[in-house]
Amino acid sequence: MRRPRLLELTLKNLFRKPATIEYPRKKTPVESDYRGLQYADLTKCTGCSICALECPANAIAMTPIPQGYEAPKTNPRRLYPLINYGKCVFCYRCVTVCPFNAYITTPKYDLANAEKTINSSPLSLSTLRKG
Amino acid sequence: MAVTKIVEVPISAEVPIGPQHPALHEPLLLRVYADGEEVVRVEINTGYNHRGIEKLCEKNTFYKDIFIVGRVCGICNAVHANCYVRAVEQILGIEPNNRAKYLRVLSMELERIHSHMLINAVMAENIGFENLFMQIMLDREMVMKAKEILTGSRVMADFMMVGGVRRDIDDVKRARLKDILLKLRPKVEYYKKVFEEDETIFKRLAGVGVVKRRDALAHGLLGPVARASGIRIDSRASDKYDAYGDIPFKVITRDEGDTWARMMVRWDETLESIEMSIYILDKLPSDGNPVPDERKLPRRFPPGEAFTRVEAPRGELTYYVMSDGKSLNPYRVKIRTPSFNNIINSTFMYLKHTIADVPVILTSLDPCISCMERATVIDLEKGVKYTVPFKVLAGGKP
Repeated sequence: MRRPRLLELTLKNLFRKPATIEYPRKKTPVESDYRGLQYADLTKCTGCSICALECPANAIAMTPIPQGYEAPKTNPRRLYPLINYGKCVFCYRCVTVCPFNAYITTPKYDLANAEKTINSSPLSLSTLRKG
Repeated sequence: MAVTKIVEVPISAEVPIGPQHPALHEPLLLRVYADGEEVVRVEINTGYNHRGIEKLCEKNTFYKDIFIVGRVCGICNAVHANCYVRAVEQILGIEPNNRAKYLRVLSMELERIHSHMLINAVMAENIGFENLFMQIMLDREMVMKAKEILTGSRVMADFMMVGGVRRDIDDVKRARLKDILLKLRPKVEYYKKVFEEDETIFKRLAGVGVVKRRDALAHGLLGPVARASGIRIDSRASDKYDAYGDIPFKVITRDEGDTWARMMVRWDETLESIEMSIYILDKLPSDGNPVPDERKLPRRFPPGEAFTRVEAPRGELTYYVMSDGKSLNPYRVKIRTPSFNNIINSTFMYLKHTIADVPVILTSLDPCISCMERATVIDLEKGVKYTVPFKVLAGGKP
C-alpha cells in the first residue's frame, strides 16, 4: 500500500465539513417519507379500535374525546386512538390497517420534550374544531 | 536435609471476560483459564439477554409477530422478518409477485452490507485501529441512508409483509439508491485493500484462531465462519428463496480458516452484495403492485407448519412456525440463529492462543448475543444452578 500523502489529506480535511451533526441545534436530515410521529385525523376516525387491536407494541389506547370538542357524527362512541410514543415502535401497522385512512404521518423523529408524557393527544385533538 | 526435588505446581488463572467488558460489545461471559499467557480452557456462559421472544410470539397474532421477530436483533431485522413471513406465506399458500421478491432481496442485501461493515469496523477498533473504525462507520452511514430511502427507517426496516413488502420505490428513489451504492463501492474496495495490505492488521489477524475445514464441519459452524474454512455453505445459493434464483452471485469461500480469512470473506461478500443490489435496481421487474393491502389479508389461518431458512449476515437462520388452525396466534414459533451455533461451539478455537487473542477471535465470529439469547434454558431457582439436558427438554428421561 502506498503511503498516504499526509499534506494532501490534512489540507483536504481542513476544508471539509465536520462529519458530526450538532443534533439539537441542527436537525438530522431525514427523508420526507421517514417513519416518524403518526397521529389520527379525528375528522376521519370512527373510533373502530382496529389499530389498537393490531398494534404489536400495545401502544394505542382508545380514549374518549374530551368535552368541548366537536366529534364527527361518524364517531358515535366519541373514542379516538391515543398513541403512547414511548411505547410505539413506529412500524406503521396502525397506518396500514386503518379502514378509513385516518392516520396522518409525519417525518418528525425527535421525541424528547419538556413534558413528562408524550402522546398523540395534542396532535390528534388539533384536527378537531372546538365547539 | 538438602533439597533434592522441586515439584512445580501448574497454576491456571481464571480470567473472566464479560458480561461487561470493553472488548465485548454485547453481554456474554467467557471464562478463560490461562496457564501463563496461554489459554488452556474456555467456558462460555450465556443468558444475560434473555427476553422470551418465542413465548411472546405464541401470545400474539401472526401479523403482530412479524414486527416482534424483527426486534429479535436490530442488525439483521429484515432477514428475521423475511424468514418468518415466508413461513407464514407457506402456511397460507400465498406467493408474492416478482417485484416484491426483488425488493425483499434488496433490503436484505443492504442489511448484509451494513452488518459486515459494522463487524469489520468493530474488529478494527478491537485491534486498536480506532481511526479505521471511525472511517468505516462514517461510510456505513451511506448504507443506513439507503435503507432509510428504501424502508423508511435507518435500522428497523419493518419492510416485510405477508404477500409482499410494505412500501414500493419509484424511479427517483431507484436512482438515488444506485448512486449511493456506486459511491460506496470504491470505499469498500479501499477498506478491503487496507485489510489485505496493512501490515499491522495482517500480523494481528493472520494465523489467529485457525479453524480447519474438518473442525468447522464437526462443530456445525455457519455463515462466513464456515465459508472462511473452505466450506461452501450458503442457503441463498442452495434454497434460492425469494429472487435469489434470478440474481447472479458468487458464494465466497477461502481456505485459510483464520481470523483474517473470516474478515476477508466479509469484505468480499460486501462487494458481492453491492453488485447484487445494483443488479436488482437495474433489473427491477414491474409485474404489479408489490404492496399488499394489509386490510384484506386473511384473518383465519389453516392448520399447518412451515420450516424456512435464510442466509442472515452471520449464517443460516431458521424459523419453524406452527399453526393449529383454531386460534389467531401461532401455536409455536421456533427460532434458531447462526450466532447460537457459532458462539456456543467456538471454545476450541481459543486454545493454544494467548489471552490477547481472545477478543480478536470472538469478534471474528461476529457474535450477535441478542439473536442467540432466546433458546438457552437456565434454571436459577433457589440460587442453585443446574443445566437441563436437551433430552429432558425433548420429553425424554434423563
